[in-house]
Amino acid sequence: MEEIVNVETVSRSFPLDDGPARHPAHSFVSALTNASLRVTAGEFLAISGPSGSGKTTLLNLIGCIDQPTAGRILIDGVDTSKLQLASMSKLRREKIGFVFQTFNLIPVFTAAENVEYPLLVQGVNGSERRRRVAEALESVGLSARAQQRPDLLSGGERQRVAVARAIVHRPALVLADEPTANLDTHNATQLIDLMHGLNRELGLTFIFSTHDARLLEHTERIIRLCDGEVVSDHSTEGGSRG
Amino acid sequence: MGKFLLLAFRNVFRNRRRTMMTLFMVGGGVAGLLLVGGFFSFMFWGLREHTINSGLGHLQIFSAEHFNRDEARVLDTGIDNWRQVAASVKIGGHVRGVAPRIEFYGMVSNGDKSSVFMGSAVDPAAENSLGFSTRFASGRDLDSKPGGEVEALIGTGLAKSINVKVGDGLTVLAMTSDGALNGVDVQIVGIVNNGIAEIDARYLRITLASAQRLLQSDRVTNLVVGLDNTENTEKVAAELAPRLRNFQQPLVIKKWIELATYYKQVRSLFSTVFVFLGVIVFFMVLMSSVNTLLMTMFERTREIGTMLAMGTPRAWIVALFMLEATIIGTLGAIAGVAAGNLLGTLVNHSGLHLPPPPGFTDAMNFRVLHVPSLMIGSSLLVIVSLALASIFPAIRASRLKIAEALSHV
Repeated sequence: MEEIVNVETVSRSFPLDDGPARHPAHSFVSALTNASLRVTAGEFLAISGPSGSGKTTLLNLIGCIDQPTAGRILIDGVDTSKLQLASMSKLRREKIGFVFQTFNLIPVFTAAENVEYPLLVQGVNGSERRRRVAEALESVGLSARAQQRPDLLSGGERQRVAVARAIVHRPALVLADEPTANLDTHNATQLIDLMHGLNRELGLTFIFSTHDARLLEHTERIIRLCDGEVVSDHSTEGGSRG
Repeated sequence: MGKFLLLAFRNVFRNRRRTMMTLFMVGGGVAGLLLVGGFFSFMFWGLREHTINSGLGHLQIFSAEHFNRDEARVLDTGIDNWRQVAASVKIGGHVRGVAPRIEFYGMVSNGDKSSVFMGSAVDPAAENSLGFSTRFASGRDLDSKPGGEVEALIGTGLAKSINVKVGDGLTVLAMTSDGALNGVDVQIVGIVNNGIAEIDARYLRITLASAQRLLQSDRVTNLVVGLDNTENTEKVAAELAPRLRNFQQPLVIKKWIELATYYKQVRSLFSTVFVFLGVIVFFMVLMSSVNTLLMTMFERTREIGTMLAMGTPRAWIVALFMLEATIIGTLGAIAGVAAGNLLGTLVNHSGLHLPPPPGFTDAMNFRVLHVPSLMIGSSLLVIVSLALASIFPAIRASRLKIAEALSHV
């Protein structure tokens, strides 16, 4: 199978707020240490771990919205460490879809307009945009709510709009950072099932982070992080990889 | 582009109260500029027409030598065959009439007191035909019929300084063309109030025929040309120049603006004041908008992070903020133009008067002209100020670190 993500011994540390002048020996805090993983096309993968374990940091690095302090990441064969900001932006635009914990919909746009936005940024023409938006909203079961603004949608509906926005441009990879954290169990399970269904039907690669153990039952591969290190890479169908 | 514009437009009204405050400020700036600029325009227009209709005329024709004249013997450099020149001028379009004049200087005395004067000798019929208005404090205008006693008008200031009134006699003394001092007895038939104290203190007017007898010359110093409309001045001057070259004596045309020194000084002063006001409004809008737009940027940090995460080019973020600011500027300008015109109309119907300006003796109307160029200029000023004000917040927004912006609370 085609390799979509290759994370090679990646580390990410952040400078402390009070800087090296006060604590020269402890001027940085390490969020991720020597993490490595490979993801092939069509996988449905969960990154789990307690708060502060480095899930979001790892997803940010894979999503090219942050850069590692060591190691390198290849997305669809492209070494992201060698990309300029504009190329990185193009890579995100074309190959990655994002689902955020707090939905992050544009509040002044309707559901349909939010879903349309990635296509707008890509320069897709109007009729093609409308067709794909309708498809995406239908695939998440929100065709009837297309003209509603986010403030008139429930939490579950907002997150489904966010999923539709993430898949509308058929990215190689969809990253979802704690997508169920603001949802109740029912909506959370529904959302994971929806993403899983899209993964199977459209062959999209999904990587999502969660610390909710119940959701992991729906996942084929689970990477566990603890204190910034990958502690296990477990496949429910193919067995442990780590 | 349409969706992008829609996004910018909807963002403008996301926080309605703040947008209304900004619009109020921008609109207030534009309305203020329109009111002040409209009043200044009215003042300039009023002063222009007053200057022209008080006797300056739209054009004046002199001999080329006039500007090197000896002020004691003004007719040495006067126009010789002025009747032919006047006839040639009258055949042109837009010309209402031509009035010959002699501008001269001398002394005036009532026997007890004497004073210097700036005299003007006129043909009353020609002056009247041009609609040149003389404002009388008392008495009447000069009689255009020849014969009888020599009549004179004097300014209120001059009358006061030598203590004379209508009906009193005076002796006017001036230098003739050959350098001799000549005098003529005149009777005061009117006291004139020009509205400008400095002029009224030296003003004396007699008929052209009387002045030519006094100065012993058939010449005139200048021909005053009145037009149907001030806006035709340039056109008529251009048409007239080749015709005047047909005369043997070199003649020059002066447009009213070249002779209206006081008008130019007033206009220059008030234009500077207006530019200063414009600069204040520009910086007021600029500084307060920077603050508002920065607040907007901070509130939308996570949203900007999301847009950047989805691959939105950073230039788009800059463009979005500048577009929003431009929309606010445009709406503010529209509101300001509407408010300014409305307030201007109310002021014009209120019948307000202002105290006399320095050097004038009459109160002036408080009127506001609706000047399209001023509306466009003021609108552009605030739109540009807002667009400039948005540059710093826009660039700051476009440079946000995406991961940090997404975790912004």
